[in-house]
Amino acid sequence: MDAASTIISLVLALATPLMGGVLAGVDRKLTARMQERVGPPLLQPFYDVIKLWAKKPMIASPLQPVLAFGYLGFALVAAGIVTFRQDLLLVLFVTALADICLTVAALSAKSPYSYLGARREFLSMLSYEPVMLLAYVAVFMVTGSFMVQGVLDYGKPLLLVLPAALVALQLVLIVEMKKSPFDVSGSGHAHQELVRGVYTELSGYTMALVEVGHWAKVATTLMVLSLFWAPNPVIGAAVGLTMFFISLVVDNSYPRLTWQRMLKTTWALGFTLIVLNIAALAAGGVI
Amino acid sequence: MNPQTLVAVNVGLPAIAALASLVLNDKRMRIGIVSLTSIVLIVSSILLYVGGGVEFSPAPVYGTAVLALDFALLAYFLYVGYRARSPQVLGLTLLQLLPVAYFEFIVKGAHVESVLVVDGLSTLLTLIINIVGSVVLIYGLSYMDEHEHHLHLESSRQGRFFFYMILLLGAMNGLVYSNSLIWLYFFWEVTTLCCYELIRHDGTEEAERNAVTALWMGLVGGVGFVAAMFVGYNAVHSIALTELMAAPQSQLLLIGFALMALAAFTKSAQFPFHSWLLGAMVAPTPVSALLHSSTMVNAGVYMLLRIAPAIQGASLTYVIALGGAVTFVVTSFLAIRQSVSKRVLAYSTIGNLGLIIMCIGLNTGLSYSAALTLLFFHSVAKGLLFMGAGVVENKIGSRSIEDWEGLLGRMPLTSMVMIIGMVSMFLPPFGMLIGKWVAVDAVASTPLLIGLPMVVMVALGSAATTFYYAKWLGFLTVLPNSLEKRKKESLEAPYKLALYTLLGLNILVSIGAALVVDDVVNPILAATYPQAVTTPGYAIDLGFTTFPVWPLWAAVLAVMLVGASVARSKGGALSPPYLGGENVADKPVTFMTTADSEVAAEVSGVYLVSQIDEGMIDRLAVGAGILIMTLLFLVVII
Repeated sequence: MDAASTIISLVLALATPLMGGVLAGVDRKLTARMQERVGPPLLQPFYDVIKLWAKKPMIASPLQPVLAFGYLGFALVAAGIVTFRQDLLLVLFVTALADICLTVAALSAKSPYSYLGARREFLSMLSYEPVMLLAYVAVFMVTGSFMVQGVLDYGKPLLLVLPAALVALQLVLIVEMKKSPFDVSGSGHAHQELVRGVYTELSGYTMALVEVGHWAKVATTLMVLSLFWAPNPVIGAAVGLTMFFISLVVDNSYPRLTWQRMLKTTWALGFTLIVLNIAALAAGGVI
Repeated sequence: MNPQTLVAVNVGLPAIAALASLVLNDKRMRIGIVSLTSIVLIVSSILLYVGGGVEFSPAPVYGTAVLALDFALLAYFLYVGYRARSPQVLGLTLLQLLPVAYFEFIVKGAHVESVLVVDGLSTLLTLIINIVGSVVLIYGLSYMDEHEHHLHLESSRQGRFFFYMILLLGAMNGLVYSNSLIWLYFFWEVTTLCCYELIRHDGTEEAERNAVTALWMGLVGGVGFVAAMFVGYNAVHSIALTELMAAPQSQLLLIGFALMALAAFTKSAQFPFHSWLLGAMVAPTPVSALLHSSTMVNAGVYMLLRIAPAIQGASLTYVIALGGAVTFVVTSFLAIRQSVSKRVLAYSTIGNLGLIIMCIGLNTGLSYSAALTLLFFHSVAKGLLFMGAGVVENKIGSRSIEDWEGLLGRMPLTSMVMIIGMVSMFLPPFGMLIGKWVAVDAVASTPLLIGLPMVVMVALGSAATTFYYAKWLGFLTVLPNSLEKRKKESLEAPYKLALYTLLGLNILVSIGAALVVDDVVNPILAATYPQAVTTPGYAIDLGFTTFPVWPLWAAVLAVMLVGASVARSKGGALSPPYLGGENVADKPVTFMTTADSEVAAEVSGVYLVSQIDEGMIDRLAVGAGILIMTLLFLVVII
């Protein structure tokens, strides 16, 4: 890898929080429109985070600051793995590391609400991680590589061969974005029975770090999804953004389900879709 | 040094040291014996590893001795069966005694060119057995003192305890060197004996009962071995493993290998033989640490690794893979349900061995590499976790995870060891995760019909693994009182030595994962499989994808360092948690309710009790296990 592309990859990885932040602004704007409100300015999420960062530091356990940073840090590492065109499974594992930082930060404070949120966050991970892994295996079966570079080298749009797998990943995206009906562990806005779930005990700068980390995570996942039309980055981005938009529509159309329903839906639907997709490809002689 | 001498040291020294420990039942002597044995065993395992392979036969008198001891052992098992009123033990022992006698006195055995064969696989196993095993022995010095102190014993029974502990190491070494099936069978039975005696060490009713279970399940493996010997002898007129392996695949020979696989499943506690390992936790913790990490369960995995090249291409190998995969996924979910620390770890062991066995069964260069990598890293990490759990158990007097709440505040040293140990089981950048990553790659590269169901099982099992370790390590960090100051923790010297050695080793081998692959895994593969993993620039490269070990370590350390400095510069005042705004002042996790009464908020672990019906799943697992064991033979016969 030459110097120029190294720099591009690095900048791209560090830009994921910005992309995610803008998307969060779009989210709030679009969600407001769907609810017939005007909504805040596009950059409102950034104003919020800046304010959070400047607030008087308060922590609920001594471990929280380093873990909150860990969440952001590992989310950035995961983004870097994508932009440096490395292994997709590794993205999944490092993202898990980031999630563990968040959940442990929540558990480290002895608080009923953050406890509830952390448990449900574990269950969210349980519901989407295996589906995501299987989807990457499907990508491997088609392209012969787990590397992002391999997907790029494949040269044809994955969407055309793995449409059902992408639908499964849509479910994953909703869980990962913590959107209804799968926002069981804590969502963007307060729910009275959850308070803020896994985020409850975070405030000020730790909350800011986690917020930015979440942006990076969502942007990274969207980058991976955009690989489904790798030959043309513009169409690729459109694929990612469409799925983002679908998540918002679903969010505003469905009430929250229980975690059991979430688990059953992602597993039953997710696995079935991907397995059927692979079976169809095998039957058609594609793989 | 002469490899033959080293082999003699690795098998003979533990036998002598074990006897010395039994006879000189004295604390000072014991410390001396254990320290000296440990040092010699570690050094000789490294020398043997560096020195490389050797094939030879010891003087005939040793052969006679092995035979005599074998009969003595079987006679003792008969006595045990009678004493414990166990028809299983009696029956299974007779099923071995009669055929072995027939074989030795009527058939008059068979000449074996090289009774002992030491190759790459044996030296790797010796490294694991001697290094991790020795550390556990040293750990046992502190543990057993505390243990006997808790039990208020009048006279110490540690002489007996260390006798079997040290003997087990010697028997394991003998097992991995044996080429003659008679010798292999003998050492196999000695490990069964040690296991039985160690489980019943404390002499409680439960211990006796579980020991008998472990014994008869072990004896099922013994019967499998004897049968394999007969079948193998009939097929190729030899009881040398090397000759069985070299002979062209035939139905008869495959039945022999299926019998060995059955024996392996008993030792490695795979379905349907998993219950003995769960029962084994009644024993003092060093026993668990030894059985689960470097010995016993690895004997089964070793057997499968040994015979795998000979069953390549046969359907048998995929049945083995299926058995491992099913065990992995089911035990990973059962582990979520457990609230007893050692039971979580036990299920984790069974599950990880299942994953390893699945990889062996897939029987490609890539999957075999994954199996060896996982075996290596699992031994170190699991030894560490059991030792840590044992320290906690002794200090807080409880095995329940519920009592681990906020342990980080009370026992910071041990808790850090446990947290790093747990992280090393399932998260990057540690070795186990690298092994798992290779395993996913291997299973994804397998033909679809076999690969796809197994990918689903691996995906589910891995996610469940993340769940049960993450929730446990999170629970350690709960600060029972956020305003409370952390306590200092003092640990006895042997504890510290053992824990820190294995902790350091755990981190070092993970950083040097590429070296492990290059120097340990690949040489073993070279004999039988195409090399599947290369290590350009200390990364793990599979040709179609790469695991950048060092960049990942650098990234993780950078995140931790920057995180620590952010934490230091921003800091923040500790504040009580959110309790609906009804917190009682100066009492951190207490809220005010009707009529100003104060209620302390409580938290507990999550075990999905109502979702995971352990009893039913266990019955299904036994059923599935029996089915798979039947399938082992069906696919060969049909």
